[in-house]
Amino acid sequence: MISIQNISKWYGSFQVLTDCTTSVAKGEVVVVCGPSGSGKSTLIKCVNALEPFQKGTITVDGISVGDPKTDLPRLRARIGMVFQNFELFPHMSVTDNLTLGQVKVLDRGQDEARQRGLKLLERVGLLAHKDKYPGQLSGGQQQRVAIARALSMDPIAMLFDEPTSALDPEMINEVLDVMVDLAKEGMTMMVVTHEMGFARKVAHRVIFMDAGRIVEDAKKDEFFGTPRSERAQQFLSKILHH
Amino acid sequence: MFAGYDFDVIERSLGYLFREGMVFTLTLTALAMTGGIIFGTLLAMMRLSSMKAVSAIAGGYVNLMRSIPLVLVIFWFFFLVPYIGAWIIGAARPIAVGAFWSAVITFTMFEAAYYCEIMRAGIQSIPRGQVWSGYALGLNYWQSMGYIVLPQAFRNMIPVLLTQTIILFQDTSLVYVISATDFLGAAAKVANRDYRLVEMYTFVAAVYFVVSYSLSLLVKRLQDRIAIIR
Repeated sequence: MISIQNISKWYGSFQVLTDCTTSVAKGEVVVVCGPSGSGKSTLIKCVNALEPFQKGTITVDGISVGDPKTDLPRLRARIGMVFQNFELFPHMSVTDNLTLGQVKVLDRGQDEARQRGLKLLERVGLLAHKDKYPGQLSGGQQQRVAIARALSMDPIAMLFDEPTSALDPEMINEVLDVMVDLAKEGMTMMVVTHEMGFARKVAHRVIFMDAGRIVEDAKKDEFFGTPRSERAQQFLSKILHH
Repeated sequence: MFAGYDFDVIERSLGYLFREGMVFTLTLTALAMTGGIIFGTLLAMMRLSSMKAVSAIAGGYVNLMRSIPLVLVIFWFFFLVPYIGAWIIGAARPIAVGAFWSAVITFTMFEAAYYCEIMRAGIQSIPRGQVWSGYALGLNYWQSMGYIVLPQAFRNMIPVLLTQTIILFQDTSLVYVISATDFLGAAAKVANRDYRLVEMYTFVAAVYFVVSYSLSLLVKRLQDRIAIIR
């Protein structure tokens, strides 16, 4: 589904990604972890071309992301993305947030879009908040709306960029629960997160990044059992034993 | 103290001052504001474009307009617009545009440079994540600008845009140099006809003050309300 081949990226002369290669198969859940500044958020943003990259190729469902001839809006519309800071549109009601993409990008009718949006809102347990504005919701609620908004486009894969790092601890689980359900339904997911509990529960593979490189790319059990790289071992011991 | 003055001249000319002069001033202000904000927003988008040539053209325009005295621009356009108009429609002789439309075009072009800088700050105040999330939904550049960035940028910048508009309202009085009958122009005509310069100019100054000051109070209240919403 998602194939990342030898990706390198520079900000000026500073190299943020070095020769990253990995893939996400259909229905697979891949968790990307690593210390801050390791390039994991940058890598996931390269997948739907929010960040350009200078070397390598990324294909999603067979379509090359870096190809200048690719119709990027059309490709992005098929990939759902959830951001660290939710990024709901603050000047629109929850319902309008859910229908904007459907109406403007997928050309769905207002009614159809609304019905689809409300159904997803119900699924994330927020139907009662449909007429509110994002600013009136808690962080956890906003993030659930953001997930519903991404799902409203009927994506073939979902990208999560640290979806719980900006949340108060008590709100993390309500968001993770939605993501776990999604994973169990067979959604293809690439998730940048430090939530190792989530990784343990639903991930098929775990990728560990450090200093712009993919240091470890292993099956979940291997990763949590005996990571091969010392750097991953250190990282795990630090975040798991608290 | 006021023995030598005749303030009745104001009352006698009120109809003319407001129905002719003030209507001209307000219409000019409203049209130049609308046109200026639209054109200014386009300029701001151009200035922020990643295409160097586009950005340079807009930057050059803005810097040019902001470096020339307004009076000069008014003069220059007044004499030039008829020729430009003729050139556009292919007429053999300069077309008669008239002081009003010449002024509307001038002020729109001139104010656009200032509105551009305001809208540029407004667009830049919207976090990059907002644009990203629009793009991630599959919106293109124009859609993400139109539905996500500009509505928020515009709302954030309303107080500053209105403050600029108050300045525009005052600046429109400069059209007296092309003998247009705006509020000041109308008052000047009465003042010269009746030789009541002190009375008329004092009155005009008072009206400009009242209108501008009330508007600025309104802007301040609006600012407080927007601050609460955010």
